[in-house]
Amino acid sequence: MSRTCRMWLILVAFLAACAWSAPAGAAYPTKPIEFIIPFGAGDSADIEGRLLAQEMTKALGQPVVPINKEGGGGAITYTLVKNAKPDGYTVAWNSTSILTSTNIGNVPFDHDAFDHIGRVEYQPMPFAVKADAKWKTFKDFVEDCKKRPGVLKIANAGTGSTTHIAAVAVMNAANCKVIHLPVGVKRRNATVLSGETDAMFGPLTGIIKLAQAKQIRILTLPSQKRNQLIKDVPTATELGYPVVIDLFRGLSVPKGTPAEAKEKLYKAMVAAANSKALQDFSKKAGFTIDTMDAKEFDPYLDKMDKLVKGILKEAKLYRSKKPTQ
Amino acid sequence: MNPAVLEGFLSATAPEALAALAAGALIGLIAGMLPGVTISSGIIIVLPLTFVMGPHVAISLLLGIYSGGMTGGSFSAILLNIPGTPSASATGLDGHQMARKGEAGLALGTAIFSSFFGGMFSLLCLYLIAPQLAAVALKFQAVDLFSLIFFGLTIIASFAVQSVVKGILSGLIGLILVTVGQDPLMGTARYTFGEVNLLQGVHFLTALIGLFAIPQLADGIAESLKGTGKGNALSRFGSIYPRWKHYREMIIPTLIGSVVGTFIGILPGTGGPIAAFLSYDYAQKASRHPEKFGTGCIEGVAAPESANNAVCGGALIPMMTLGIPGDPVTAILIGALLVHGLAPGPMLFVERADFAYTIIFSFFWSNIFTLAIALLGVRLLVKVLDAPKAVLIPAIAVLCAIGSFALRNSFFDTYVMFAFGLLGLMMRWLGMPVVPLILALVLGRPLEENLRVALTASKGDVSTFFTSPISLGFLLLSAVSIAWPFVQQWRRRGSPA
Repeated sequence: MSRTCRMWLILVAFLAACAWSAPAGAAYPTKPIEFIIPFGAGDSADIEGRLLAQEMTKALGQPVVPINKEGGGGAITYTLVKNAKPDGYTVAWNSTSILTSTNIGNVPFDHDAFDHIGRVEYQPMPFAVKADAKWKTFKDFVEDCKKRPGVLKIANAGTGSTTHIAAVAVMNAANCKVIHLPVGVKRRNATVLSGETDAMFGPLTGIIKLAQAKQIRILTLPSQKRNQLIKDVPTATELGYPVVIDLFRGLSVPKGTPAEAKEKLYKAMVAAANSKALQDFSKKAGFTIDTMDAKEFDPYLDKMDKLVKGILKEAKLYRSKKPTQ
Repeated sequence: MNPAVLEGFLSATAPEALAALAAGALIGLIAGMLPGVTISSGIIIVLPLTFVMGPHVAISLLLGIYSGGMTGGSFSAILLNIPGTPSASATGLDGHQMARKGEAGLALGTAIFSSFFGGMFSLLCLYLIAPQLAAVALKFQAVDLFSLIFFGLTIIASFAVQSVVKGILSGLIGLILVTVGQDPLMGTARYTFGEVNLLQGVHFLTALIGLFAIPQLADGIAESLKGTGKGNALSRFGSIYPRWKHYREMIIPTLIGSVVGTFIGILPGTGGPIAAFLSYDYAQKASRHPEKFGTGCIEGVAAPESANNAVCGGALIPMMTLGIPGDPVTAILIGALLVHGLAPGPMLFVERADFAYTIIFSFFWSNIFTLAIALLGVRLLVKVLDAPKAVLIPAIAVLCAIGSFALRNSFFDTYVMFAFGLLGLMMRWLGMPVVPLILALVLGRPLEENLRVALTASKGDVSTFFTSPISLGFLLLSAVSIAWPFVQQWRRRGSPA
């Protein structure tokens, strides 16, 4: 036997030993975990998700690999994860889209087709107008809108999107007739700056820069409480319109995932959420890290789902395709 | 001189930043060349690395990939007729024909030099008149964008001269195919027949790979079987350095491409592919011999290639002045910079002017590095052409399959690619031009989006398209554009010669 040959044999034996020992000895996780992001690269969901995955990698000791599966307002990701093997190696980075894409009828299941690990964060969806607009307060806007029903235009990211749902809910509460313009995420801010639309609803992370540069003015936010980045802005509830719609993000896994894996994922999620990288980023970007475990998250989702369903029904967009019905 | 300018220049020229740039340009060239690995996905792959770098190094790396990718995409379009990136799809029209004539080197050289020029032109605009340009771009509302894109669609007329019916039919097939998938405004499913994979619609690069590469593979196999390998014309490479007379031909199309590319780059919701096709068409209309377009002429390569690199600088303009991304790549750049606590946008020049200039000078260097690395790398690419058919054909087939898969991590897309391959074969058999179909695939979605947003805003009043001066202007241009090729043809027939 030549020397090189012997070296090869040793190497092969060593590798085989490695491969053998891993699954036998260690518990979950023994291999990389796929972390599916329902939106495109560079989106706020993507940036926040990638940071979280990076920190979860540290906590789990296995790579948590972010994969973008965009499309269908989240429908592609949710279908893929719902049908994935329930072994804890496929995780969806969910958001309010898990309620909108299901209720708009893009997929034949509801948010309860998953096991949820928990919530990581939420962020408000403020209402903003151009900085030199004549409306100084939300009340000004409501009054003007009542004087001229069906004239003012409010930009949103797409019909049935969370920004649209927030806009419909707030405007209904204020008894305002407006034109909801689904201009898309890419052009939303531009249309307000150019005057093509009069106002918009957008996630705080996406509009805070413009507000800080005094290009737009945030008048209200339909959130639980005021946001520390915009302390002076009253919530819609304070103004007498009791609407609370926040954009949330969290983790979901296929139904039937073993409890042990879910427990570990939850612990890693909390550790990652409390990491310095994510905490620092949240302060800059304007989202609030506030973790919930499945016990809290499930009823929260049910409550939000009812809200979304109601608004979509009102907008005549609701379409459930549950096979059992 | 403003001290921030000097500071920005120094940090963009720091050795670590330049090293990152060189690496970025190389990664970009390779990513751009590989079908299926778009510039966006190239950037995503290195994104986690940039979190731990200094911001000036991070931006250098990312901008290097951006410019490199725009140039690299043209290589596979020219050599293999498979555009490496969506932005390179117009380059193949003439670039690959040049390669077939044995002028692959010249085509690549033209692409490299006009890319460089386009990049530098947009850089100058970024440096000198960014705020003014951004203000003009902001004036474009949904009605105007609709008319601009409609104007783009009228290019179909240029490709439909041989047969109006076949040209229009091809365009209509494309427009029907873009309606598949999620409704862009309502989010509901259209023509998906319950197939979840169809929800994301047909990616236009998937269609492109199928339409261009599969018929070519079929040809290659047929030739190999017959044994009539009539001498591989591709193996003649020629010089990459254009001669004086080539430069003279390049001047006008490159200028057109640079202006069009920069401006399209500024407009949010557009991007490289639209700029490339528009400038290709304008260059053809401005040319003294428009009939040569599509048969392998330098102008047909110079225009789209300068345009797609000019898009880079153009897209940086609204990003840096308004915080609004001009194209998908700048959207990722904003995200990457946010992690460093730097928010591109109106405050950038006020709060961190030094870093704003770092971005501008990094972009300057990225153009230079891309030029240098591309010129060096071209020598290696020659080897691709020397490969025997028995190796080249299977390799292209594998690239097609992987490319269509990798775009969206979906094997379903590979089947879609093959379906488009069959469609491509059928269209060729029927003598139908493919370009109108591709144009419709590129422009269909933004056309529909802006049409519907405009009509929602006007409550269904169509006159809105004629009362906006910008929109009216583009609609008039569209009328001219549709009539133009036919007038030209009529004049040629009418003249005694």
